[in-house]
Amino acid sequence: MTETPPNVPIRPARRSFFERVSIVWVVPLVALVIALGVAWQSYADRGPVVEIAFENASGVVAGQTELRYRDVAVGLVETVSFTESLGKVLVGVRLDKAVAEYVDDESEFFVVRPEITSRGVSGLETVLSGVYIQGDWDTEPGGFTPLHEGSADSPLMVGGKRGKRLVLRAAPEASLTERSPIVYQGLEVGQIGRANITDDGNTIEAEAVVFAPHDRLISSATRFWDASGFSFSLGPGGARLDFSSVASLVSGGVTFRTVVSGGEPVEDGQVFVVYPDEGSARSSVFSEEDGPRLNLSAIFEDHASGLSEDAPVELGGIRIGRVTALNGVVDADRFGDERVRLAVTLSINPSRLGMDGDIGADAALEFLQRRAQEGVRARLVNASLLTGGLKVEMIEIEEPDLDPAEIDLTHEPNPLFPTTESDIADVSATAEGVFERINALPIEELLDSAIGLMDNISRVAGSPDLRALPTDLRATIGEVRGTVEEVRNVIGSEDIQALPGRITAVADQLEILVSDLNERDVAGRVLAAFDATQEAAADVSKVSQGLPELFESIDAVAKKAANLEIEQLTEELTGLTRNARTLLGSDQAQALPAAVTATLAEIDTILSEAREQGMTDSIVTALNAARDAAGTVSRSFEGVPDLVDRLNAVAAKAETVPLDQLGEDLSALLNSANQVLDTDGARQLPEDLGNALQELQAVLQELREGGTVENVNATFDSARQAADTLREIAQQLPAILSQARSVLSRAGSTIEGYDADRGVGRDLAIAVREVQRAAEAVSSLARALERSPNSLLFGR
Amino acid sequence: MEIPGNVTTARQMGLVACTRCTKVWPGETERCGRCGHRMQSRDPGSLQRAWAWWVVGLICYIPANTYPMLSTRTLVSKSEDTIVGGAVELAHHGSYGIAIVILVASVLIPIGKFAVIAALAIGVRRGTRMSQLRRHQLYEVVEYIGRWSMIDVFVVAILSSLVQLGALASIAPGKASLFFALSVIFTMLSAQSFDSRMIWDRDSEPTPQPLQPQEVHA
Repeated sequence: MTETPPNVPIRPARRSFFERVSIVWVVPLVALVIALGVAWQSYADRGPVVEIAFENASGVVAGQTELRYRDVAVGLVETVSFTESLGKVLVGVRLDKAVAEYVDDESEFFVVRPEITSRGVSGLETVLSGVYIQGDWDTEPGGFTPLHEGSADSPLMVGGKRGKRLVLRAAPEASLTERSPIVYQGLEVGQIGRANITDDGNTIEAEAVVFAPHDRLISSATRFWDASGFSFSLGPGGARLDFSSVASLVSGGVTFRTVVSGGEPVEDGQVFVVYPDEGSARSSVFSEEDGPRLNLSAIFEDHASGLSEDAPVELGGIRIGRVTALNGVVDADRFGDERVRLAVTLSINPSRLGMDGDIGADAALEFLQRRAQEGVRARLVNASLLTGGLKVEMIEIEEPDLDPAEIDLTHEPNPLFPTTESDIADVSATAEGVFERINALPIEELLDSAIGLMDNISRVAGSPDLRALPTDLRATIGEVRGTVEEVRNVIGSEDIQALPGRITAVADQLEILVSDLNERDVAGRVLAAFDATQEAAADVSKVSQGLPELFESIDAVAKKAANLEIEQLTEELTGLTRNARTLLGSDQAQALPAAVTATLAEIDTILSEAREQGMTDSIVTALNAARDAAGTVSRSFEGVPDLVDRLNAVAAKAETVPLDQLGEDLSALLNSANQVLDTDGARQLPEDLGNALQELQAVLQELREGGTVENVNATFDSARQAADTLREIAQQLPAILSQARSVLSRAGSTIEGYDADRGVGRDLAIAVREVQRAAEAVSSLARALERSPNSLLFGR
Repeated sequence: MEIPGNVTTARQMGLVACTRCTKVWPGETERCGRCGHRMQSRDPGSLQRAWAWWVVGLICYIPANTYPMLSTRTLVSKSEDTIVGGAVELAHHGSYGIAIVILVASVLIPIGKFAVIAALAIGVRRGTRMSQLRRHQLYEVVEYIGRWSMIDVFVVAILSSLVQLGALASIAPGKASLFFALSVIFTMLSAQSFDSRMIWDRDSEPTPQPLQPQEVHA
């Protein structure tokens, strides 16, 4: 090896740091910066974690399940854990920072799962991709809320849809299907959410929403009804099939209409009743089904059939509610036996109670409590006799032994209203009894009799005699009418018309005369005369005591007279009457009144003259005399009883008189009279009578002219003298009477001897009865004569 | 080849070899007389570059494992798997072979590369008990096998291009594939940057020596 100079350690100058450091280091530095930048940015962009509690987390996978808002992923599930007591599943979702501020208190989360309903399939995409969490919140940032309660079902309004939230309550018979549409005029405008059974278990309520802008259709006057199913009706207009749409036919659904105007806008959460059909919905507008309801229970001892849901509940005859549910109750602990009792739920409408203002359920309960304490009880009564339907009636029971009771407020689920014995008439049994009675009636026999009666009547009515009757009647009536006409003619004559005037004149004269008499104390004298007469009457009364016997005899006579052929007589009289009418119808008879009038005028003149010539004085004197005479007569009557006895005897004799013969004779006489009247001569009579009257008038005139009044005065004087004489005779009468009495007593004693054997008294009584009858006959005869004055012409 | 314990390097003999055409020139030669390549006995920035690429590669390797490698979307599902996750998934389904291949190609090899490069670089500066020959062999293996690490990226690229059935199914490369590819590239660069001649420098302080006619190894 060659010698080499020693190596000089040569150390190059140390290069600067930048010269030594390789440029390549820039790359890792940049990488580091980028990495750090990315890390920082991803950390800064990371949103908060929202924790959502679900009932279960079926299908939710951490790190995979997304949170979506309007179908855009805005978060990812990071954790799936439990709440503290394992009560719920807590899903932690990493939110996007951009939406975190919007996830406020009102946000809703629900898990979207595949769902197959009658309306279709929803969430189908989740079958393959797995479920996702749907978040729903409004567009107003309200501050991030880290903990939320997830709902099991999708809310009605998602994705920012707006509308009116309502609560629908199903009326009895109406159905409410979950998730069914709300249809208006065939257009789906809303949706029904999940249905829940109300607390008392009687009705179904469901949340529903009507989306904007259709929510303006909803007002307080809106009525909902069940549009599912179909209705078929057959009427005069033909067959009719109604259903809203095929969809609602299958899936159910409700529709609505604002049936009256004047509704007010409603708030969210307003309760509406869903009626079974349109008709009941429309009619409900006036029945005020809405408003607060008071539910009561009532337990009836007797389980009567016929009560049904919707039966009316009445208080004092006014419908205040209805029956909403019927249940049987068996409670041995409470009632002591195991009988089935009828538990009825009553839905009371407080507004029907007639209290002032708008009262609520509590006030209504208080009111009913008071009523119950006053004795009001619920009972079942017949609502309809025909159908046998029942209703619940709250009525005041007025029984003294009524147990005090009140509403049991502690009863569950509703307060218990006290009840009493039902008042149910068994209509069917009563009706059956009535029908049985009717059935038992002998209708056939009755009808037979009726038919027989009808036959007889028809036979009688059909007889020719009966048919002739009207003709005869008509003839008779014609006669009567003719007579009446004649009479009217007579009366209608001027003379008759003038008669009253005349009579009035006479009456005037008489009145003057009477006043004249008054002036001369005629009344007093007359009174005295009457006194005397009274005495005489007293005497006569005494006399009359013997009269019965007389009457008996007369009765016998009368009996005979009764046997007379009165009928024949009457017939003849009728004939006579006819003739008389003919006579009256004659001109002469018509002229008679005139003559009478003239005569009356004469009398009038005479009377006036008489007055002028102091006739009253004479009359007064005469009356005095008459009084004296009456007094005398009174006195003289003292002997009359005996005389009566005698008369009795005479009457007895009279009994033997052949009255029959007399009647026949009389009849014959009347016949003759009739014939006479029928003759022309008789017809001439009125004329003659008129002449006679004229003559009488002439005579009267003469009398007046020839001082007749003076003669009358003289006559009165004579009469007075005669009266005086009579008085004198009467004064002698007592003696005569005493003589007569003695004679009669002798005769009486003689008769007494015969009394027992011959029964003279009885005979006398019989005689008197006969006389009575005769008197009656005579009386009727007299009446007949009265009616036919022409008999007077014959002096009878 | 059995290499005796004391190997004399060209540097010790005052020579310098051209790294392109391997002709050996005297130590002061600036440029290779044959190919004109710039002559340099040792690259003073080699370790720095190696370390720099190594760091970048490691940085890229982290997201390559955390982000999904492959995004598979079919009609029914969408799955994104990381490298390790996918391998585990496969192993769960019983495909242990494929799982091992993936694990080796995508996890074992890259991590081994990082470890080997780091070890070599440290060994150059601090010295090591491992023989120079062994270290050189390691270096050659690393450089050889490094490109195979891209097998995962190739699979992703091929699948993505092949499986595009529209809505039915599609496979897209995940973020990790890009980072993984970058990681592989950076580790390869790191390996290349490493001047393997330094393995043979026994001394930590390389001392320039006059040219001596000695056995020249390289």
